[in-house]
Amino acid sequence: MDPEPGRSTSVNEAIAEPAPVLTQAAEAETFEALYRRTLPRVYAYVASLLRDRSAAEDVTALAFERAYRKQRGYRTGRGTREAWLFGIARNAALDELRKRERRATLEAEPEDLTALGADEIADLAIRRETVRAALATLDPRERELIALKFAAGLSNAEIAGVIGVSESNVGTRLHRTVNKLREACDGRA
Amino acid sequence: MDERDTTAVIDRALERGAVTATDPIERELEELTLALAADRPAPDAVFVAQLDERVREGFPRERARANPLRRLRAAVAGLEIKRPPMALLGGAASLLAVLAVVVSLSGDDTSDVDPLSSSGGAGMSTPGGEIAPDGDAAVDGAGGAVELRRDTAKRIRQSFLAPTEPPGRRGFAPGARDRRIQRSATLALAAPADELDRVTADVTRVTERYRGFVLRSSLATGDEGATTGGSFELRIPSTRLQPALADLAKLGQVRGRTQAGDDVTAAFVTAGDRLEAARAERRNLLGRLEEADTDVEAESLRLQLDANAGEINRLRGRLRSLRISTDYANVSVTLEARDASASPPGDGLGGALDDALRSLGDSLELAIRAVGVLIPLAVFAAVLALAARAILRRRRESALS
Repeated sequence: MDPEPGRSTSVNEAIAEPAPVLTQAAEAETFEALYRRTLPRVYAYVASLLRDRSAAEDVTALAFERAYRKQRGYRTGRGTREAWLFGIARNAALDELRKRERRATLEAEPEDLTALGADEIADLAIRRETVRAALATLDPRERELIALKFAAGLSNAEIAGVIGVSESNVGTRLHRTVNKLREACDGRA
Repeated sequence: MDERDTTAVIDRALERGAVTATDPIERELEELTLALAADRPAPDAVFVAQLDERVREGFPRERARANPLRRLRAAVAGLEIKRPPMALLGGAASLLAVLAVVVSLSGDDTSDVDPLSSSGGAGMSTPGGEIAPDGDAAVDGAGGAVELRRDTAKRIRQSFLAPTEPPGRRGFAPGARDRRIQRSATLALAAPADELDRVTADVTRVTERYRGFVLRSSLATGDEGATTGGSFELRIPSTRLQPALADLAKLGQVRGRTQAGDDVTAAFVTAGDRLEAARAERRNLLGRLEEADTDVEAESLRLQLDANAGEINRLRGRLRSLRISTDYANVSVTLEARDASASPPGDGLGGALDDALRSLGDSLELAIRAVGVLIPLAVFAAVLALAARAILRRRRESALS
């Protein structure tokens, strides 16, 4: 396993692990393979939802353990294994949120900016701060949608399976949320 | 840009990992997409290594098992986030409902075996006739035709459940130990012709063993002087009726067997009350006779005392009759010769087929009853499970509100 030790430092690096298109062969993969393929995205989604790194680790581990114990109960007719796994992770995260009844701030880790020039560092920092500030204006459901789409890398159909709405509804919500985010970014630019 | 365009641009940007659009709006959306994707949190290397190990080991549970305190803590922590036990409650409610239905079915079904009737196709009889609960067909016993009437059986059952006469002063309650029940039974036996004499002697022997007595007996003989059949009127203590019948049934092949009971507790109590009242009246009359002033008055009182004595004697006789009839059960045994070469009913291929068909019918009946109970329960449980799921989902979603 080659996990990412810290926050991604560039756009291309972040996109280097796109959400794979599931095939029948992927459906038959072992649990360990599923784990290796999805761990970074499950963690990213849970951390985005909880905004607490420590809690995100606990919930991610709990989600994979639950999935491991329930893997025989998975049925292909209910959606992809990823959607099933993210559904378990979502339930665990929401349980955690409800239990804690608080929102901790996600601790930003020091970024490796040594490879970048001074202008690039400044641009990157400004852009991220702008996006984070815009994200903070969204309500929790909108932030969850952004996390499922951009952190977890799920398709609209998979998101629909996870949050229990139709695919077209996901498209509509995503369109609105992204527009809201763009407006917030524009207002801060 | 509509919803489809937005999704398409986002998916394209995520797939390519670069800004490629020339349209300014799409380009801006692609940049936002990449910025959001780049800003996603990444797991810590130590955490990943630990989780890798747990995955490889299949998420072992021995840590919690090793330390009871930790196990208790884990259980308590699990309780906090576990689902509400509605499914468990639903299951318990369903079980209770099943039990209630089963109990009510077994208690309400008047067409089934009566508490007083014995197993193995036993029927019931009344002083005026004999009936069996499991059919309207007549059973031909050796002592005569036994007519099976379901309505009479119902009447008998009702007499057990709800006495028609009101309770007397001493009172009695259904199910009380001092109930007075007239019991009767019939037993039709068949035995090989050359064993009838032995069976006849055994009937008397069994009756005496249980401290009963033979009230009446008759034997039929053939042309050659051999016994061809017989009938017996037995009186057996009611408390020993069942073992006595069991022993009598062993003397030959049972071709018919019925039992019946008639609750005469109310009549018994009423007669006792009237006897006490008559005795009180006698004491009163005697007292008045001592104080009578005139011969006319004394004569009148003597006449009343005579009538009172008659009433007392009548009631004593009634009570004695009821006591005897309830202390001793009437048992009628008929005995007939059977061809030694003939197969008894129920034996052989035909009997086996009959038994198999009967068993199949019973099984089907049981299955239909079970389905009738289980389907509503299943619907109820499903509704309960759906409701529990909806509630749980709503509670979870509330964390996002």
